[in-house]
Formats: sequence, C-alpha cells, structure tokens
Amino acid sequence: MTTRRRRLLGATALVALVAMLPFVAALATMRLAERPEAVLGPVDGLPPEVAPGPGCIARGPEPVDARTDLVPVVPPGARVGSSTVLRCPAAFDGLEVTFVGEVVGDVLPRRGGAWVLVNDDAYALTTGPLPGHRTFAGSNSGLAVWLPDPLVDGLSEPGRPGRRGDVVVVTGRIVRVDPDDSGGLTLRAETVRIAAPGTDVATPLDVPLVLLALVLLALAGAVRLRRR
Amino acid sequence: MRTTLLRPELEDLRVIALNLGRVLEGLSLWMLPPLLLALVLREWNAASALAVGIGTALLLGGLAVRRFATDRPLTLALGSVVVSLAWLVGAAVLALPIHLSGHTARFLDAWFEAMSGLTATGLSLVQDVDHLALSIQLHRHLLMLLGGTGIVIVVIALFSAGGGVGSLYRAEGREERILPNVIRTARFIFAVSGVYLVIGSLALMAALALAGITGWRGAYHAVTLFLSAFNTGGFSPTSQSLAYYHSGSVELIIVVLLLVGGSSFLLHRELWTGKGRTELRSSLEVRTFATTLAVGITMGVVALAVSGTYRDTIPLWRKGAFTMVSSSTGGGFTVTSGTAFLADWGQAAPFVMVVLMALGGMAGATAGGIKMIRLGLVAKGLVHDVRRLLAPSGALVVTTFHVRRRTVLGSGLLRSAAVVLLLYVATYLFGAIVGLAYGRWTLSETLFESVSATANAGLSVGIAQPGMPIGLEVVYLLQMWIGRLEFIAVFVLGGFALSLVRGRG
Repeated sequence: MTTRRRRLLGATALVALVAMLPFVAALATMRLAERPEAVLGPVDGLPPEVAPGPGCIARGPEPVDARTDLVPVVPPGARVGSSTVLRCPAAFDGLEVTFVGEVVGDVLPRRGGAWVLVNDDAYALTTGPLPGHRTFAGSNSGLAVWLPDPLVDGLSEPGRPGRRGDVVVVTGRIVRVDPDDSGGLTLRAETVRIAAPGTDVATPLDVPLVLLALVLLALAGAVRLRRR
Repeated sequence: MRTTLLRPELEDLRVIALNLGRVLEGLSLWMLPPLLLALVLREWNAASALAVGIGTALLLGGLAVRRFATDRPLTLALGSVVVSLAWLVGAAVLALPIHLSGHTARFLDAWFEAMSGLTATGLSLVQDVDHLALSIQLHRHLLMLLGGTGIVIVVIALFSAGGGVGSLYRAEGREERILPNVIRTARFIFAVSGVYLVIGSLALMAALALAGITGWRGAYHAVTLFLSAFNTGGFSPTSQSLAYYHSGSVELIIVVLLLVGGSSFLLHRELWTGKGRTELRSSLEVRTFATTLAVGITMGVVALAVSGTYRDTIPLWRKGAFTMVSSSTGGGFTVTSGTAFLADWGQAAPFVMVVLMALGGMAGATAGGIKMIRLGLVAKGLVHDVRRLLAPSGALVVTTFHVRRRTVLGSGLLRSAAVVLLLYVATYLFGAIVGLAYGRWTLSETLFESVSATANAGLSVGIAQPGMPIGLEVVYLLQMWIGRLEFIAVFVLGGFALSLVRGRG
C-alpha cells in the first residue's frame, strides 16, 4: 500500500471517528412532534394548595411540637403537596391533610385495603402524561397512600404508559413512620373523591420517526450487503 | 530520562475505528429485545425510536468495519482507546431511543441516562418515568446488564470478536481471567448472569405476587428489578424505587441479589466449582467486604437510632440496613424518598452512606467505587509497615494475602492499589467542588452526589435531577464513565489524543 493511500485511509478513519458523535447528535435533535390530541390539560375544580413558608426542617427530625411556622400556615385538612411533605416529614407527622393526585402503577391489595401510589406532579395534574407534549416538569413526585377496603372499589385502572389514572382528592393523616409499612412515610386515607376519572391518552403515530427508522435500517442493510 | 511522545501511525486509527465499529454492531443487537416488546405491546413510537437506535448502530458500525478492515493486532494501548471511546459513543447511540421516546428535555439528559445505565449507576434524568413506555423501560434496564457485565465482554461473548480481545477485556477494568481463555471467560460471565436471571426473576415474581402484582406485570417488574439489582444498577420501573412495593420479601430478595452482584465473578466461579468455601474463608477481598458491610450497617443503624429517625427495630432494619447494603454494593435502590436522607436522617447516617458508596464492592463484579481488594491491600500495607518498624533490625518481614491463591504483598501491587484509591478520592472531591461552585447546595450534598456518580452507586439527594445545570451534568456523566473504567483506559485515551496533536514521528 502506498504512503499516500495509507494517509488517506488514516485520515478517513479519523474523520469517521469524529463524525460519529455529530451524526448521533444530529439525530438526537429530532423530537417527537407535539400532538394536540395527546395533551390532556389541567384538571379543574381542585382545592387550592397551601404553600407553607420555607421555615421547614433542613436537616434531622425535630420534635413534633416544633412544627415551626407550618401549623399556622397549614390548617388541618388543607391541601398540601408531596414535595412539601417529603421535605418536612417530621413537621407533618400526624397532621390531617388533603392530598390530590393521580393514581399510577398498580393497586397493591393487602388485608383490609390496598396501597396505591398517588402522584401530584405536573404530569398528573397540569399537563397530562409525557410524551404527548413538550412541557417538561421534572421527575415524578407522590405519596404512598393506604386506602381501606371500601375506598378502593371506585378506582379504575391506574395511570400507566398511554393512560392517566384517576385523579383523586384524598383526605387523611400523614404518618411519618408507619408501622404498617415498616417505617415508610404514608398517607392513611379516610375519604377519597374522584376529581377526574382515568382516561387513555391518544398516542398518534410519529410518521417522520418511522420513516427515519426505515431509512437508517435500509442503509445499514445496504452496507452489510456490500460487505459480503 | 525524558520519553518522547510518538505520534500514532495512521494504521492505528484504522484499528481503532474497526474495533469501535464491531462494538457498535454488537450494541445494535442489545436493542432487539425491547424492540420486540414494543411491537408486542403496540408501542409504535417506542418501536420506531428503538429502530432508529438499531439502524444508527448498524450503519455506523457497518461502515467502520467495511471501510477499515485490517489484520493489524490490537495492542493494550489501542484496546484502551477503543474501550474508552466505545463507552462514550456506545452510550450516545444507546441514548437515542431514550431521547426519541420523548421523556428527556435534551439529548444530554438521555446520554446521561444511558451512561448511568451502562455504568450501572442508577442516577436518572428521565422525566415522568411512571408513564414511560414499557419497552423503553426494558431498554434502560438492559443497559445495566450490558454495562454491568461489560460492553466488551458482551460483544466478545456474542461474537467471539477477532484478535486482541484480551486487550479490550483488560482495558474494561477487568484484570482477572476466570478461565484461561478470554472468550470462555466472557461466556462464563454471561452464563452466570443467565442462571441468576432465571433464579432471581422467579423469586422476585413470587414475592411480587404476594405484594399484589401478578401476571405479566409481575413478570415484567421481576425481570427489570433483577436486571437492576444483579448489576447493582438502581434503575426501577417506577419513580418510587422499592418503596413502591411495600414488601419486605421483595426487599430481601433485592438485598441478596445486590450481594451476589456485588461479589466478583471469580468468587462465583470458585463457588460453582465447589472451591468456594476456602475462598469465602480466606480471601482478603471477601473478608474486607464482609467487615466493611458489617461495620457500615451497624454504624448506619445506630446513627438512625440515635438521631431518632426510627425508634422501633423493624423500621430501623428495613430502612437502615437495606440502605446501607444498597450504598455499599452501589445498588442505588431506595426504600424511602431521596429527600429523606437530608430531611429526616440526621447527619451521621448519610455520612456512613457516603463512605460505603466511596469504598464500593468487590473487584471483578458489577459494583463500583474504590473496591474492597484495594482497600484490603492498602490496609495490609499499613500493617506491614508497622510490623517492619517494630521488628528487630535485619529481620525480614513478609506479608501475604489470599485471593484465589496466597500471594506476597509487593510494593508494586501496593502502589497501584494506593494510586487508584487516591484517584477515586480526588475525583470524589473534584465533583463535590464543582457542585459547590454553583452555590445552590451544601458540601455534604455535593459530596454525596459526586461520590454516588463516581462510585456508580446511584443514590441521590436530589442534585442529579431533570433541569440540573448542564456543566454539572457533564461532570457527573464523565465521573460515571471514568469511575466505571477505573481511570487507566481513560488516561490512555487522553495520552493518545495528546500524542495525535503533539507526538513526533
């Protein structure tokens, strides 16, 4: 092999190496198209959520009587968010609250009731599930809720890919270390009301994505055939 | 004496491109099972996203293999370059289906996710995971098997890739050869994973049925949880990790799988051939792991009791001991909300978690971190120095250790263990300082997250989440990569890049 040819080959190899990532990056700029039919929009008619002040516990559990400024801000039965409760578990221990969110995953039946995961993030209450829209709102956030037997019956299939589960308004008591959950933080429900019934989310076919996949597979097949 | 940096020959680049192409072709196969699941479940957009990933890997890999075919052997140096690049480029290609699923705001998040899966870390930037297509979930979890076992190992096992595979094997952070032949070693590792997959998944299915998840959903959760636990990864099919299941049986099986996955494949080989009892009793690595774990669990549980987080025995052990095992093995599973570590766990227990994550599991396993063998060797070295000082002048002090066979502790071995240990510590601190520079978090928070990323542990106090600063995201991505490859291969890549620019000849 001549020196010129070897240089050419080497240079091509280098270019190929460098080109791999930009090629992948170019593909990565593709996004699923937002489809109006896949956007659920906010759930209406929910009680207002109380936003407690920042005077919450930064570190370490504090005595129950040291609920700082939360007690005046969060009156018994007021609606609270999961991120607030998880940030200040000791402050909420034993408090009667209202919690609103989407039932997702599975209903886990146990003696006398069932565990459900109730998410109160934006995907549950405001925008509807991804990937039907492009409004990103971070990770899921929710609370483990214990529903006694009679309260489980009214629930439909929980939220999953392509489905938003029932949006429920739960009233109950926060338990920081629930002995029935071996120490987990739970909400023991006393009442449940369905604010918005579960619904399937339309998932229209993303035609450009299908075409891209077919073109790439065809090109890869052609390269393989030529190799043979 | 000063050594001259030699510019690599052009043929070297060709060898790198060829082997990178082979790896990419291998990775394309890894996306087939999720693609099949997508077709079965009629998740058409997810299927298209996976097909784009497969097409890209096949096209790039095919072009490289076709264009740069060569008989030139792969040296250890070039193998290291290939492995380093394979993990970066491979993660980017494997990130395509995740990004195209529409659950990441930017491609970097998907790349981070793929790197986190491949390095069996478990930090996640996927949004609305509770509504993520099941096939993409499977793809995420399979990444942990791929990376936990080793990208190159998998490619070797599947394709018996051409010459120089030994270089690739060693460059991927695996020094030991369980069997004399690298290809047979790779297949053994694959076989071990396969057997545990069947046993672990069946056990988890039974536990999940008791927890209330039956039928195909039970099987799906069982397989994904197994993939995550055995590879000490930490991804979970739900946003709540193991807290979702409210099941002691599930947690117990996961603990067993974490310990099995955190043990070296060499130990598995010894156990399978009936020689395991000696190894369990005498191996420096096993003893160091057992001691670290016992001390860590005790300290963690006591810390939680003293801080008043949990007062009863069952919560203390269910939450405390589980989390310490998850930290030590790099499992990354949680049985509480991540914010609980900051809001409800006091000061000492999270500190113990950081130490356990930093130390990591056993070498030659799927766990990350400094690794028990290095810790054991450095500890032995310290004892050796003390014994030498106390011995009469002229006395010969010899220290030995047992890992598969009795070996004399030499200064070279000790130095290399200490150097890697220091590199890990420096990387932990570097990431913590970068995090601090953003001014949003305390040192304890940034150190926790930095150690978790570098040691491929995956526990989080909430810094690594969607919307995190791009600079910090890149740093964590690189930390996961460097931590998994244990520095050397990445340093060789850096040296190679430098020699391309500044080398002579």
